[in-house]
Amino acid sequence: MRSDRTYHPLLLLLAALLAALAPACTGAPEEPVTLRYGLTLAPTGIDPHLNASAELGIPLSSVYDTLVFQDPQTGDFVPGLAERWTISADGLAYTFDLRRDVTFHDGTRFDAAAVRANIEYVLNPDHHSQKAAFMLGSLEAVEVLDEYTVRLVLAEPYAPLLDSLSQVYLGMASPEALETWGPTEYQFHQVGSGPYRFVEYIPNDHLTLERNPEYAWGPSIYEADQAAIERVVFTFYEDLATRAIALQSGEIDVIGEIQPRDAERLEQSGDFVTYPVRIPGQPSQFLFNTLQAPTDDLRVRQALTRAVDRAAIVETVFGIFSPVAEGPLSAVTIGFDPGSPYPAMDLQEAAALLTAAGWIDGDGDGVREREGQPFSLHIVAPNWGSNPEVAQLLQAAWEEVGASVTVEVAAGFGALKELQAAGEYNLIGVNFFGADPDLLRTTLSSDGLYSWSGYRDAHLDETLLEASRASLDPDRRVALYAEAARITRDRALLLPIRDYVNLVVASSRLQGLRFSTQGWFPQLIDLRLAP
Amino acid sequence: MRCLHGLLTAWAAVTVTFFGLRLGAGDPLAGLLAQGLASPDQAEALRHGLGLDRPLADQYLSFLAGLFKGDLGHSLYTGLPVLRVIGDQLPSTAALATCGLAVAVVGGLMLGTLAAWRKGSLWGRSAASAAALATALPVSFTGIVAILAFSNLLAAGAPAILTALRQLALPALVLGIASAGAIGRVVEAGLSQSLAAPYIAAARARGIPAGSRLLWHALRPALPPAVSLIALEAAYLLSGTVVTETVFSRPGLGRLLVGAILQGDYPVAQGVVALAALFYTFSHVLADLLSLALDPRLRREG
Repeated sequence: MRSDRTYHPLLLLLAALLAALAPACTGAPEEPVTLRYGLTLAPTGIDPHLNASAELGIPLSSVYDTLVFQDPQTGDFVPGLAERWTISADGLAYTFDLRRDVTFHDGTRFDAAAVRANIEYVLNPDHHSQKAAFMLGSLEAVEVLDEYTVRLVLAEPYAPLLDSLSQVYLGMASPEALETWGPTEYQFHQVGSGPYRFVEYIPNDHLTLERNPEYAWGPSIYEADQAAIERVVFTFYEDLATRAIALQSGEIDVIGEIQPRDAERLEQSGDFVTYPVRIPGQPSQFLFNTLQAPTDDLRVRQALTRAVDRAAIVETVFGIFSPVAEGPLSAVTIGFDPGSPYPAMDLQEAAALLTAAGWIDGDGDGVREREGQPFSLHIVAPNWGSNPEVAQLLQAAWEEVGASVTVEVAAGFGALKELQAAGEYNLIGVNFFGADPDLLRTTLSSDGLYSWSGYRDAHLDETLLEASRASLDPDRRVALYAEAARITRDRALLLPIRDYVNLVVASSRLQGLRFSTQGWFPQLIDLRLAP
Repeated sequence: MRCLHGLLTAWAAVTVTFFGLRLGAGDPLAGLLAQGLASPDQAEALRHGLGLDRPLADQYLSFLAGLFKGDLGHSLYTGLPVLRVIGDQLPSTAALATCGLAVAVVGGLMLGTLAAWRKGSLWGRSAASAAALATALPVSFTGIVAILAFSNLLAAGAPAILTALRQLALPALVLGIASAGAIGRVVEAGLSQSLAAPYIAAARARGIPAGSRLLWHALRPALPPAVSLIALEAAYLLSGTVVTETVFSRPGLGRLLVGAILQGDYPVAQGVVALAALFYTFSHVLADLLSLALDPRLRREG
């Protein structure tokens, strides 16, 4: 059939030129099966032992094996490079029996000395490790008991240790490569023992992994014995607007942190599948300042909690993918207590509580007063994670019950800390991610780094500290965190908004996409790409 | 004198950046503190190790001293020398900016000449409107439109040549078009003026052909302001690369700078700004010299 389209001669010339040049530029006759994975930021520094970005773990979790792995379904720790381990009764000594059949990508063998070399590399003060060094608790010594037995000795019990050892930040690297390249160059020449080997990293441009054909020591949480996809190329898309476009134009097969509206639209096209990955840790939340009037009054904090429809806020701001948060921990975190949900919206109850607290609108201007002072609230919202939008909806809801509300947006974490230090806030948005609930101590313990509610309660402190130390008794930990959640709710220390969800969108050709317990890291070994 | 002035400008830019970053941007350790993993003691030790606890004046002086020796320090995150970090990204930005400038100059001259030469006709009016539109549209918009428009061309399995096109030609086009509009309008203004000048009528009376009249007699006096603008645009292109590189996910200095500022990697951010300031100064001095060469009248006045 004859096409009735006409072509401009110039276009034909261009096409001819391209056709002539194309064979010269395409190298290999048969391309290996390649997955193109979009990352959402180009990290400065990608050595997981020294740098802190969560994004680096997306590729590198498949380059390294860890001593233990955490089962994303059950939360249990399963053998990795360590075949078995024992924890001493006092929770201070962890003894690991290591696998004997593991070789790094450079051909060197993995053994107990390698474990010690890795931990020494991380803890070397000259290396300025930003994350891994802080994940080891009060580690005192790494003892090599024999070629394949190693013991970690702590000064104080530290329940999150296995969680730390299951993460890429403490993944085991070839000591020879660490020694050869040193802390600044190693990031470009990483050598692990995982299902993929590190090929090259060109900052801001791409990072390439290739299948490790020798891999035969995968943990039970990996379904496949060997990776099906031969090569994975990662590229970087910081700009939110470009991510959906990169998927649509076929430039990449999968990317995370897509906007809810884009995810809905892409899914409707039928070519893409959305994976809402729930992230453990704290939900997006606002801490009440218990030192600043009027939120120093428990009745006021309870009234404000009662005056908002959190489900409506979540749906308005985050679309259909985000669950409403029901406590200081997101529902996928160990220790989350489904037994203490937050009270539902009740405007009458809210008004009654405010009146009981002495806040009454005497002059009928819509704003309550007490002793001549207006009922005013100041919200400090960080400029990420849609916090400003949430703060605006809170403002509207609280103005309904007679408050005069101002919102201040902090541009960046430094600005947030400055506004916090000024102390003039009634609510402040802050939350942290992580699979181990010990992170609650940073915001809820009175000596926590971000105890920004200013609340001091010896019982809450004691509960959280004990939970941090209960290494051998997971059930006791869960009970202690339930107690902490109950105190948090009863004292109205914070307003939880939504459990964080990483919206990953992938081509429908991609099968077997699953994520680690931390929520960010895919198990690349199990991925398949349909033709 | 001009060089001294240029150096002073560069120094001022670098100084403003140095203090601006430290006052405005975040704490470089905030990211790590945000993970809730560092105790204040550990953060303090890290701060000390990186020399961030020294007095600001002290840090500033050693930064300036390093700058004179060509040593821009080391990235706080990777420990890599800043010169090397910049060196890795520079070729990519240089290629983009050069191609972008070529698009801007060629496009600008064509649009401007057409608009002035055929003033009032459909062609002239279209060229003038195109120039105005090109100036008004932000790169972030035209970039996304270009990606969408060419997405079929760039889809999976496309030959390498098309990937190369996406990598350089498309971003250069998007980047260049914005500046082409501005250059075009200046050329148009200058050319309209000189075309109306009596010596053009005289040239016409002497029977000099139209093409030669336009290119030699009319365009030449219209060029000095355009050349100054082109030098300015060259410097603006460098800032345009920040957006272009982000939209097209290209490596380069623009994205390096954005990342460094967001993560509080002062030495890298300072290094990029110092380089940009030097480039800006250099292109200004060059523009002045070029204008002098093109327009003898300026030499007498100067």
